[in-house]
Amino acid sequence: MSSKWSTKRLFVLFLTFTMVLSVFAGCTPQGKDTGKTAELDAEQYINTYLVADPTTLDPSLRSDSYSSSILVNTLEGLVRMEERNGEYYLNRGDAERWESNEDGTVWTFYLGDNKWEDGVPVTADQYVYSLRRSSAPETGSPNSYFLAPIKNFEAVNKGELDVTELGVRAIDEKTLEITLSEPVPSFLSMIDTTVYYPQRQDKVEEWGEKYGSEAQYTISNGPFKVASWTHNSSIVLVKNDQYWDAENVKLEKVTYYIMPDETTYYNAFEAGEIDFVGTGKTEWLERFKSREDTVYNSYTSATITYSFFNTEDELFKNANIRKAFMLAIDREDINEVCFSGLRVPTYGWVVPTISVGDRNYREAAGDMVKEMLEELKQNGQTPKDLLLKGMEELGLGNDPSKLKVTFSLAGTDEWFRNLGEYLQQVYKRELGVNLEISFAEWGIFYDNVTKGNYQIGFMGWGAYYNDPYDVLSLFVSDYDAIETGWKNAQYDELIRRASTEMDEDKRLQLYIDAETILIKDEAVVSPLATSRVNQFVRDYVHGYSTLGFSNMGFKYVYTVGRP
Amino acid sequence: MLRYAIKRIGYAVVTLFIVVTVTFFLMRSIPGDPLSHMARALPEQTRANYYAKYGLDKPLFTQYLMYMKNLLRGDLGESVLYPGRSVSETIAKTSPISGLVGGIALAIGFVIGITLGIIAALNKNRWPDYLVMFVAILGTTIPVFVFASLLQYFVSVKLGWLPPSGWGQPRHLVLPIIVLSFGPVASFARYLKSSMLDTLSQDYILTAQAKGLSQRDVILRHALRNSMLPIVTILAGRIVGVFTGAFVVERMFGVPGIGFYYISSINNNDYTMILGTTVFYAALFVIAQLVVDFVYMLVDPRIRIVPESR
Repeated sequence: MSSKWSTKRLFVLFLTFTMVLSVFAGCTPQGKDTGKTAELDAEQYINTYLVADPTTLDPSLRSDSYSSSILVNTLEGLVRMEERNGEYYLNRGDAERWESNEDGTVWTFYLGDNKWEDGVPVTADQYVYSLRRSSAPETGSPNSYFLAPIKNFEAVNKGELDVTELGVRAIDEKTLEITLSEPVPSFLSMIDTTVYYPQRQDKVEEWGEKYGSEAQYTISNGPFKVASWTHNSSIVLVKNDQYWDAENVKLEKVTYYIMPDETTYYNAFEAGEIDFVGTGKTEWLERFKSREDTVYNSYTSATITYSFFNTEDELFKNANIRKAFMLAIDREDINEVCFSGLRVPTYGWVVPTISVGDRNYREAAGDMVKEMLEELKQNGQTPKDLLLKGMEELGLGNDPSKLKVTFSLAGTDEWFRNLGEYLQQVYKRELGVNLEISFAEWGIFYDNVTKGNYQIGFMGWGAYYNDPYDVLSLFVSDYDAIETGWKNAQYDELIRRASTEMDEDKRLQLYIDAETILIKDEAVVSPLATSRVNQFVRDYVHGYSTLGFSNMGFKYVYTVGRP
Repeated sequence: MLRYAIKRIGYAVVTLFIVVTVTFFLMRSIPGDPLSHMARALPEQTRANYYAKYGLDKPLFTQYLMYMKNLLRGDLGESVLYPGRSVSETIAKTSPISGLVGGIALAIGFVIGITLGIIAALNKNRWPDYLVMFVAILGTTIPVFVFASLLQYFVSVKLGWLPPSGWGQPRHLVLPIIVLSFGPVASFARYLKSSMLDTLSQDYILTAQAKGLSQRDVILRHALRNSMLPIVTILAGRIVGVFTGAFVVERMFGVPGIGFYYISSINNNDYTMILGTTVFYAALFVIAQLVVDFVYMLVDPRIRIVPESR
């Protein structure tokens, strides 16, 4: 069985490539530098690819991951998450330095002397304009919710308050002040997202709705500027000499080919047309690994594969039944059989790559699903006992084979058929349940899920930034992003407290307590595996990063010995 | 003749109206919305603002009336998924690219296909016939993506002669054109062969031969011309198809044509783009039908009389 997350599976593809491409976009001066800077190639360029055309390069209106892979190269935000010696390092961007008041609600950023590609200085006003534009309801920004921590955002976004009431102001030309409604510990990681980048009011107004739709309607204050954009074919970036840190930018040119087809980019990599390639297919992995001129980077991403329960369903409203379905799956086995052994078996909702401050979250919180299984074993029980207990609580008798359970999958091709068969076999063997599988295309699947018209579903989700809040907040009652219908006041309270707790140890404990409720007590969601990124880079490329959350574009990339 | 033409154009307009209306309501019955590609549960307000911006919050029928009103003014609107890209501009920019690649491929396929068809018909049940029919079966049965990846692999990876994908230089045209011409070669060869065999058994061929015309004249002036009739019908459809692009080939070779928008707009619920491309395709098709009828009159004397009779 081949694990083929192919282009058809829109959602996982999207999420997976968020990761793959953020990697292509991640580079560092110290990270993978082998110290051969002396013999830099005379012509400094990189060829790479995107699997889809960016929707737009307008930071307020973009809605896909491809546009952000371009924007991290062409725009400079206040800060930049970089990699130094294999670790995350929060570097300056436009802001030379920053400070916050004591309770972390008022942040002041002191801008350096960066310029736009046309020589106009970057000012605090441009940041104010950008944040206001994204918040204004008439802009219809799909990413505006990233601005939620800013004071008055919600009222402004609803149209109840004027945009000038948004908690952001320019104290002077080079000083920006952002006021939050309450302290947000991960605020500095949040502002390293495209929606916090500055925008030029004069250009946005001049270009109107064309802004960001073609190369000539973009303007850059980042390491590179857009030289050309042929939709669905290629995007060419060239070095921006006006950039404040231009002396550390070695590449003169970065070409992105738009290659939606897998075989095309594999062939292009083999033919030497592109310098990077990512794959999740075993046969290609082996093939690329055997190349001597290629560096193989493999690391855990932030995209989790999981199944989730409709807690408003007649059957799955019972926690013991949910636990039985969660524990009946052997995560090592499903990884081998269904994911070709390419993912990392996962025993908690927060993926292994996320940390709180300097501490890896998963290591601190433990493998919750494993612990549950061990506890069960110590009591001489099996998941089936939990199922029977739940059935008894619901008055459903003691014959699991009579239960009517449908597992919904978001795909109809062979890979999903195999997954469906696997689940049927496992649940029959472990629980004695005769599982039905519903196969549907993504749009139909997701529609059913949002309407609560399902029992168990199967999906992937990629974390945006490096804090458990990003993924744990998805289960807060009035957000319910995973559409489980689950409501738990204690959980909400823990997450709310964690979101404003500036002390890292305390925050970590709050997150652990919350995840314990989510997984151990309530089994609302069943984590299965975390994807890995398998990236191949030609060996003459240096200065890139393999940290999933770093956000540096091709800023520090260079080549030595390109044939 | 004029009345006939006016009537035909009237029908064409009604057809287009029906196509737009049916597409509009069918498309809106597809689950999901233009934001579902984000695969994220967006906050209510974010969604509401987005809908309001594109008028998607209004009653469906109101949206339909608005769309029709704009359509009458020739305004196909702006893509819902790609902010700032006007649908008509996108069509105007991408369909000539598809037309260029597809047109050259079709012309090549047409010439080679017809030649092979003639060879097969004149050598019925001998090796050239079998060879041509073998190629024709290959051409219709090998999936385009298989052929395309094989070409990429051998020509680009193994031989290193041409780039596997890309756009902007003449060398980028070669591979997509080869792939795209394979299908027409196959179908033209098959159609022409059977049509030619049919024609060759007609009495007027016997007459022509009896008149003492050379074999070459008989075939080129009599047999071929009459055998072309079914070919004209397929050709019209193919020419229309050229301007609507070839999804798989364009996507595999990085050709910035229109084919992409036909499929992706549906997958992504890009409503305005779905309607725009459908209107464009329907209009081309209807016009092509008119042209075909007209060409028939020129090619076939038997048809020429019909519209004139009252």
